[in-house]
Amino acid sequence: MSQELMFYATAFLITVCSVMVVTNRNPVVSAIYLVGDLFLLAAVFASLDAHFVAAIQVLVYAGAIVVLFMFVIMLLNLGPEGKAHLRIPAPELAVLVLTIIGFTTIGTLLLTGQAPGVGGEWSPEAIQTNGGNTFTIAMVLFTKFIWPFEISSILILLAVIAAIVIAKKDKKQVVHD
Amino acid sequence: MISINHYLALATVMFLCGTLGVLFRRNLLLVLMSVELMLNAVNLVFVAGSRLVNNLDGQIMVFFIVTVAACEAGVGLAMVIALYRRYGTVETSFLRMLRG
Repeated sequence: MSQELMFYATAFLITVCSVMVVTNRNPVVSAIYLVGDLFLLAAVFASLDAHFVAAIQVLVYAGAIVVLFMFVIMLLNLGPEGKAHLRIPAPELAVLVLTIIGFTTIGTLLLTGQAPGVGGEWSPEAIQTNGGNTFTIAMVLFTKFIWPFEISSILILLAVIAAIVIAKKDKKQVVHD
Repeated sequence: MISINHYLALATVMFLCGTLGVLFRRNLLLVLMSVELMLNAVNLVFVAGSRLVNNLDGQIMVFFIVTVAACEAGVGLAMVIALYRRYGTVETSFLRMLRG
């Protein structure tokens, strides 16, 4: 009972935070609500027996990515946006309608279908006897998913180089200005 | 035990919030934050599905999504800084070079 209560309270707060991230005029306030969103989502992950994912969520998302956003907001000295009336262009509206249609379709299929493959290898009890969530995830990550893991390291290297090259000051540009 | 449908509903709400932000916000930083919101909704679906079928592959997939999100945030924010240097603003309405 208390687990349900906690989930619904967290879900309500996540919804509020998500709406505030999107609707707030001030980017700093939006980033703060994003932090709240990510922390609450980490709580949901922990309640789903995904403890290591919850820790990663707090460390990487709330600790690194949002701080990066904060740095850029401070660096660019962005204040609150002016009060411009919301214009809704037709292509964006079409994309939104298509998204909602897609979600409705997926939801209908999920509600009418059967959950496949219930009873897999790693139930919470099996993970507990195997040595805990982190140990089991490491075992799977470094055996079955070793190649995606290596490729993701190349992706990170590429992203670092790309970020440096893109954000570098263009000397010709400065002279031109 | 909470039904998986409730987790999916929560993820849908988050994803739609992110979609609205990407489509209708004009601040480029807010667009990037909305993308993070959408990625997190997908993470929630992966973890809930992983718990439902007792398989850890969903949680592993979350790690790869977090990796991609970190790379996307780094490159995206570098682009925001480059665009701010060039145009002096981060409004998406100034970026019409690729518009047909």
